[in-house]
Amino acid sequence: MADLETTNTAIRETTGRPLVRLEGIHKWFGNLHVLSGIDLTIQQRDVVVVIGPSGSGKSTLLRCVNMLEAPTLGKVWFEDEEITDIRADLNEVRTHMGIVFQAYNLFPHMTAVRNITLALEKVLKLPSDEAHDRAMDQLARVGVGNKASSYPGQLSGGQQQRVAIARALAMEPKVMLFDEVTSALDPELVGEVLEVMIRLAGDGMTMMVVTHEMGFAREVGTRMLFLDEGRVGEQGEPKDMFFRPQSDRLRQFLAKVL
Amino acid sequence: MSLTEAPTFDPAVAPDVRGPTAPFPATIFALGIASLVVVTLGVVVSQVNYAVSDRVLTPSCIEQQISPEDNGAIGVCNIVEALDDPLTTGSLYLGAAVGGLALILGLASYRRMDTERRRDHAITGAVLGAQGIILAIAILWFRSASPGLFAKHFLNFADLEGYGSAFVRGARNTLIMAFAGELGGIVIGLILGVLTLSSRRSVRAPARIYINFFRGTPLIWQLAAGYFVLLLGFNIRWPGLIVAIMIFALNTGAYAAEVFRAGIQSIERGQIEAARSLGMGYVQAMRYAIVPQAVRRVIPPLMNEFVILIKDTALVAVLGLTASEYDIFSTAREGQSATFNATFFTAAAIAYLIVTLPLIRLVNAAEKRLRSGLVGVVGAGG
Repeated sequence: MADLETTNTAIRETTGRPLVRLEGIHKWFGNLHVLSGIDLTIQQRDVVVVIGPSGSGKSTLLRCVNMLEAPTLGKVWFEDEEITDIRADLNEVRTHMGIVFQAYNLFPHMTAVRNITLALEKVLKLPSDEAHDRAMDQLARVGVGNKASSYPGQLSGGQQQRVAIARALAMEPKVMLFDEVTSALDPELVGEVLEVMIRLAGDGMTMMVVTHEMGFAREVGTRMLFLDEGRVGEQGEPKDMFFRPQSDRLRQFLAKVL
Repeated sequence: MSLTEAPTFDPAVAPDVRGPTAPFPATIFALGIASLVVVTLGVVVSQVNYAVSDRVLTPSCIEQQISPEDNGAIGVCNIVEALDDPLTTGSLYLGAAVGGLALILGLASYRRMDTERRRDHAITGAVLGAQGIILAIAILWFRSASPGLFAKHFLNFADLEGYGSAFVRGARNTLIMAFAGELGGIVIGLILGVLTLSSRRSVRAPARIYINFFRGTPLIWQLAAGYFVLLLGFNIRWPGLIVAIMIFALNTGAYAAEVFRAGIQSIERGQIEAARSLGMGYVQAMRYAIVPQAVRRVIPPLMNEFVILIKDTALVAVLGLTASEYDIFSTAREGQSATFNATFFTAAAIAYLIVTLPLIRLVNAAEKRLRSGLVGVVGAGG
């Protein structure tokens, strides 16, 4: 028995350690059954892309990962901790998971750099000069270093979204969650945000990405999930799924979006 | 008939279906203005004329119970006589007639004006004309009743002499009470407002009971009861002014709580989600992300509450204050009971307006700025 444990662990080490594990996730909003029994494992360095028609539960699933939405049923593990357990310290867990929202959700009353240093100082308790340096590094990394003292209202959508990414990255998370981050952007601003995400994936960041950008899904995703009416309709290699969709539902969906 | 054979449109021969344009919109506008000007100017000029010239108490004034022994009797008599002056009478009738003309012409022709601007002129002229008529009728009516008695009791400022410093002190006390009360109310309101948003009923319930009690009972009752509860219930003998400030703070707290609750609820869900997703706890998220934004949004309604409180401080009259604690209204009441001249209340109204009108302007400006959506940027950055 003990041997088996060791062997399992060894296998896990070689295949990449599971960072996030979702097991039997169900979510009801009132009578609406949004997620019905989803299992998902995210390994380190995975770029898991989630696609599917609107209302299929993609965003809800993503939000269950960092418990912004608590699953009605099912369990979520982060590393070795079950974070659906009521005793889990979610504030601590969330410092290891960055999330970027469709609506940016920057704090409008703070400058770009203050948006980033706030959590560094108040949550990670970094001294303010160290927080400032780290924030400036991240802003430069996403290409808005010159906008540090601008307020969100003074920035374009693409710039705001990149500041939001920098804000999440500054916490040095182990996994980044992206919730339709380009959907609210003007078409000409989508590229600059995708570029940052592509670079991030290249740097080996573990990512879960809910998106309508099929090009990004195909080229950057290491694994893809097709969500349909709260179930995993199909999953696998993105390229396989794009070129050889197995189910009618995925075929229909791809025909509409491509 | 095929589409290519659509009839050609030649503007040169196209019939003008709009009909004839109505004449003289500017004249109607001018008539409307003239109506108001004639009415007000006639009244004001004859009032000023009587006020500045040396006159005596006329028999008709004495008939209206304005006796020579009354302090300021001549001033009162001047007001009454000026109202009966032919200049006043003439301008009232003339103004009403001009207003009627503007009203009839404007209403009859505004639909046929050929530009927006001309139509505006016609409508505005008609509206101003109507206002001129109403004003003239109101003054004529007022004049036909007992203007002498009214002026004697409410427009006789002679007795106010020597009360200037008392009114200044009253205004100071009014502002002290309103300011301290509002400040205390904001602190109480912010705490209660956050409590009412708790997901736990055990936390919400006491806050709701407090708010409903103070919103559901009259302030005048709270002032009276508060005084006796402190005195008899807790054996606390505070000066009336302090008791008043305490009650005003408690009362304003209930209203401010609702303002803060609405302000916090108006912040998009994404804001608290962003804060929580960065590992902040609920209290941290509220303190750094939500409340600072909510506070900006609630500034106009809170200033509104402040204006209301300034006027409500008049209710301290029920507490039996000492003379040095008198607010504007108590000062007026004191003066009135000493001289039997209600003009003190007219003065009080003017004093309240001097304080409140600039504040009302400020509230409107703040609301306008908030609506312009620049608050996030300019409010924080200057």
